[in-house]
Amino acid sequence: MILNSEHIAKSFGRNKVLKDISFQLEAGTITGIVGENGSGKSVLMEIIVGVRSADKGTVNKNGRIGYCPQRAVLFPHLTVQEHFIYFSVAYGIDNQQSKRRFEELLHHFNFKKYQQEKIINLSGGTQQKLNLSIALLHEPDLLILDEPYNGFDWDTYQRFWDYTNHLKKLGCAILIVTHLLSEKERLDRIYELENGILV
Amino acid sequence: MTANKIITGLSMILRMLVRQKIVIILLLIIPAFFLTIVEFTTSDRMLPFQLASLDDDVFINISEKGISFIFFAVASSGFLVSFLALNLIQKNNTVNRRLIICGYHPVELLISILLALFLVVVLIAVYIGILTNAFYTIDNLGRFILGLVLIGFVYGSYGLAVGSLLKAELEGILLIVLLVNIDVGWLQNPLFYAEAQNQIIIKYLPAYFPSQTAIITAVTDYSAAAATVNSILYGSIFLLFSMLIFFYKMRTK
Repeated sequence: MILNSEHIAKSFGRNKVLKDISFQLEAGTITGIVGENGSGKSVLMEIIVGVRSADKGTVNKNGRIGYCPQRAVLFPHLTVQEHFIYFSVAYGIDNQQSKRRFEELLHHFNFKKYQQEKIINLSGGTQQKLNLSIALLHEPDLLILDEPYNGFDWDTYQRFWDYTNHLKKLGCAILIVTHLLSEKERLDRIYELENGILV
Repeated sequence: MTANKIITGLSMILRMLVRQKIVIILLLIIPAFFLTIVEFTTSDRMLPFQLASLDDDVFINISEKGISFIFFAVASSGFLVSFLALNLIQKNNTVNRRLIICGYHPVELLISILLALFLVVVLIAVYIGILTNAFYTIDNLGRFILGLVLIGFVYGSYGLAVGSLLKAELEGILLIVLLVNIDVGWLQNPLFYAEAQNQIIIKYLPAYFPSQTAIITAVTDYSAAAATVNSILYGSIFLLFSMLIFFYKMRTK
């Protein structure tokens, strides 16, 4: 089991966003979480990753984790290439592997021509490609994606799913927050977050 | 903790700093602007005054222009370093958290930030010291630059503390401008200070010790050791406070 979360609860003031969330993720599966705006999907993702603490409950993770937040979280004055270098160092990836992954992701998501551009000069879609690529850089065992395709064109959207399926075959457990009902067939399991519980 | 992470962090932080036009504009223009204003608005009449850190019978004779140059050099150094420290710690808070989730330790990130700040403090002190000397010959330029480094250390640590504590940039800048303006920009001016009704309050403000160091070293041969040590202690308190808040905010849950 790659992820085991049990009885997670989180409140903001009187608003109980998450009441009692328990679920597991197995290797080589894609699990979707759907829910209305403000239902607590992003809060749940942040608790799983460790950005936010839960009021109650436990999260146990195994292996390397990749996290793609909903909005692009990047340094505005660094280039695409510098982001790859900085995050490779954070992940502890050696130079050779970093260069290989860097080339692979630039090529796959079709943004090689922007590698020397600073983030402030990039479109929202290209920033999102980098946001996602950072989560994939170290070939994670658990991939947590919070609406990762905001701003993607159709071609990039297809490329995203191709890559996700490739990772699934390699044994990666993928948890994805989505709004698109058309994606149901791509998922092995789907949960709806409603009134603070998963149904 | 690895040296590679710290060096990479430092390199990226410095790149980000020099790529911000506002930073370069502030660094180059503010000190030159302040000192040019002094050149055109102050007289050469001699003003004898006492310094709080020296004995009561010690009077310093210096022109109004001379003391104003020294005082404005200290003020611009404190303001610039404080603003840049705020910028360093506050602006990329969310991305820094992402780096920590991805494997950076908060200590590695903090050391990178502090090293970058140290380089900025020294650079600003040397630039302002040399610029001031171009307007008004400083007897002990090296010691005067040390005084500017100290004001940079104290106000840089203050900027870090404000940046760690507050999320919003505007509130942070307001707090910095307010304190710099009242403290280093007004109350520490020896011409005001000598006549002040209540000097105790002035002595407990952050710029007191570094201002004393800068003025003593620039215009006298007296020792500024006590003021230097107190400056380091004062700056260290701010630094410790900012580090605690940084760790608290950056810890993974």
